[in-house]
Amino acid sequence: MENNLITEDKQKNKLEKAFEILKTMASKPSGLIGLTIVLFHVVLALTSPYIAPYDYKAISPNTMLLAPSAEHWFGTDSLGRDVFTRTILGGRTALTVTFFGSLIALLWGGLLGIFCGLVGGKIDDVVMRVVDAFLSIPWILAMLLIVSLLGTSTEVLIPALGFFYGKGIVRVARAATHDVIAKDFIVSARARGHSNMSIIWNEIIPNVRDAILVEGAMRWSWMLLGFSSLSFLGFGVSPPTPDWGLMISNARGLMSFAYWSVIAPIVGLSSLIIGINLTADAFAKALGIDRSTKAPV
Amino acid sequence: MKYILKVFSATFMSLILSFSIANASSGVFKVSHDLGFGKDTNLDAITKGRLFQVVIKTQNRLVRPDMNGVPSPSLSTDWSANSDATEWTFNLRKGIYFHDGSAFDAPDVKYSLMRAKDPDIGSPVRKSLNVVEDIEVVDQHTVKMKLSTSFADFPLLLTDYRLRMIPEGSGDTIGQTGVGTGPFMVDKFDPEGTTILKANPDYWEGAPGVAEVHVIAIPDAQARIQALLTGQIDMNRYVPFNQKKIFDSNSKFTTSVIPTGNWRGVVMRTDTAPFDNPKVRKAFRLAVDRQELVDLVMGGAATVSCDTPVMPSDQYRLQMDCPQNISKAKNLLREAGFPNGIELTVYPATLEPTWPTIAEVVQQQVAKAGIKVNIEMVPSKGYWNEVWMKKPVSMTRWNQRPADTILHEAYHSGAKWNESYFKNADFDKNLADARSELDFNKRKKAYQNAQMTLWEQSGTMIPYHVSRLVVTSSKVKNLDAVDHFSIQWHKVKVD
Repeated sequence: MENNLITEDKQKNKLEKAFEILKTMASKPSGLIGLTIVLFHVVLALTSPYIAPYDYKAISPNTMLLAPSAEHWFGTDSLGRDVFTRTILGGRTALTVTFFGSLIALLWGGLLGIFCGLVGGKIDDVVMRVVDAFLSIPWILAMLLIVSLLGTSTEVLIPALGFFYGKGIVRVARAATHDVIAKDFIVSARARGHSNMSIIWNEIIPNVRDAILVEGAMRWSWMLLGFSSLSFLGFGVSPPTPDWGLMISNARGLMSFAYWSVIAPIVGLSSLIIGINLTADAFAKALGIDRSTKAPV
Repeated sequence: MKYILKVFSATFMSLILSFSIANASSGVFKVSHDLGFGKDTNLDAITKGRLFQVVIKTQNRLVRPDMNGVPSPSLSTDWSANSDATEWTFNLRKGIYFHDGSAFDAPDVKYSLMRAKDPDIGSPVRKSLNVVEDIEVVDQHTVKMKLSTSFADFPLLLTDYRLRMIPEGSGDTIGQTGVGTGPFMVDKFDPEGTTILKANPDYWEGAPGVAEVHVIAIPDAQARIQALLTGQIDMNRYVPFNQKKIFDSNSKFTTSVIPTGNWRGVVMRTDTAPFDNPKVRKAFRLAVDRQELVDLVMGGAATVSCDTPVMPSDQYRLQMDCPQNISKAKNLLREAGFPNGIELTVYPATLEPTWPTIAEVVQQQVAKAGIKVNIEMVPSKGYWNEVWMKKPVSMTRWNQRPADTILHEAYHSGAKWNESYFKNADFDKNLADARSELDFNKRKKAYQNAQMTLWEQSGTMIPYHVSRLVVTSSKVKNLDAVDHFSIQWHKVKVD
């Protein structure tokens, strides 16, 4: 009975803390704007299949490159498809792929960084040199190689993006671990004979979690840009799936006379990236993390 | 009197000087190529990796097509055949020199054409040239070609854009030197950068209008359009019709629409399941709405084709209608053992700007017949080596050729570029019969029978023959409004 009460109290405290963080984030205009934009995109991604006015695949020579009108709010593209429909659906794949990709990046990057920070020595040296080697490879070239060999399905893109964007998180997690490793409670835990796994789980993660989460949020927006770049180059989402990067790529040649077909996906993509960035900044400030003093990784 | 003489001399010298200036080659004409053959790109016209944007400017043929596609003199001034058209005699132009200084004569003709037949080289043009059994050097400026069969259209075959004359014995180096008798000479060959051609001042049709031609490698189609817009290149012959508006209203550019025999298509390998079943292939082809493709991809500027590669203006083309027929396509799939349809993947690259759009439109059209098409984009660089004739389904594009050449080259069972691995004895027999037939109507019938076989059995879906939207900088003058291989490049000027 007593244990249940303690657990409920802990959960209540966590909820209260999360609410407090949200409140602090929303108290600043930039944070409020960021949160609103991200929430808007998430809601749109969830509801767009039900509110889209046209079939996103429907092609027709009779409706090619129509300017915005009451019938087609954002006009039509070069294959006669409704740009509004494709724009509101265009963020779904990007959000899904990059969200899960970020989770993978956080998990492997965070855990490996913490482990290296804790054990140090030769293992740390070897792992960090390997990470450095991977950091020196331009991600876009490596991604192009991977999708050329394995295809462009989401089953390939999610782990591949998760891997490439997790490399930077290894460094952040390792640095954050170094900050806490010399503290008394770690020394005490070691003296009590706790295993490395126990120390990581019970002592380090609660103390470095915030820094890693903020880094993960920032990586999410970069990954979104990276994923859209792949789509722009034709190596992300396959047609006819609507995707902002692909839409921009297809319409870029028509920009001078059919601007509507390219503006909507550009606004969609850039607003989401800005929204995630503002939210991540506000999140960091609410947790008391000053990103401006961090060394670039 | 002295004064009059002085004035006269000065006027005369001025006239000479201005005449020389007016006729001197000047300016640089900048064009692009797509690097589609990657590392195999070379200047040997008969090989797969030939960079035709260069060889068509540096080397001549014996016979070239005139503005209407009719064989006309080039390095051969005239020709004649014996009564059954099995022996053809060509008289060669005199006083012609290669860029390396050697004289052009009959042994060069024999060497150039027999080399194209060499099985060790394995030229894609070999199949259509196999009709030539021997070439006899009658004298320094006369050759007699002995054919294995009667061939009334033989000069038409020699207009093939790859049958260029090169110096005798130059086969080992021609891939890098590009030596010929053409209006331009290769100064620097850099297939992945900028290849520089210099004007040949001694060109037999007169000095070229420009001093240099730069052939720049730009693999991406949109990048080539941007290069044209920013003045990096002066001509783009692959501008999609949906971008015509960009140039129409801009005085810096000139646009022209040229009907051609060039075609785009989707190739199914007939040696690979499920496309080894003719019913599956025909079902796919029947499920395509060709007119909609013409409208959506080409803005209406193309001629519908019923899977024949023979160009619309060719006398041997089979005229027929082939509207989309979804119910028949479904029936064929059912009969072939695929009642629930099939799934396939196509691999477009942006080296041909219309491929991704063709794939996307076809994807929607054939879905109605239960054919699921996945689209996987691949890099432009090396497309012809890595994807084409390798994957079960690929995208293709061909430049125009005479009926006999294209039918042999793309579909004959022994052809190197038989991209769909099509093997049909009736088809091969019809082509052989057509070549040996001296009666025009019977010859036409045989070529059309061959095209009907393609409609029933072929693995290549050819929706249309394109009209080409050519955009040039308005500085470019005297460019013939015809296809690549009929242009007389020495006439081009750049202000």
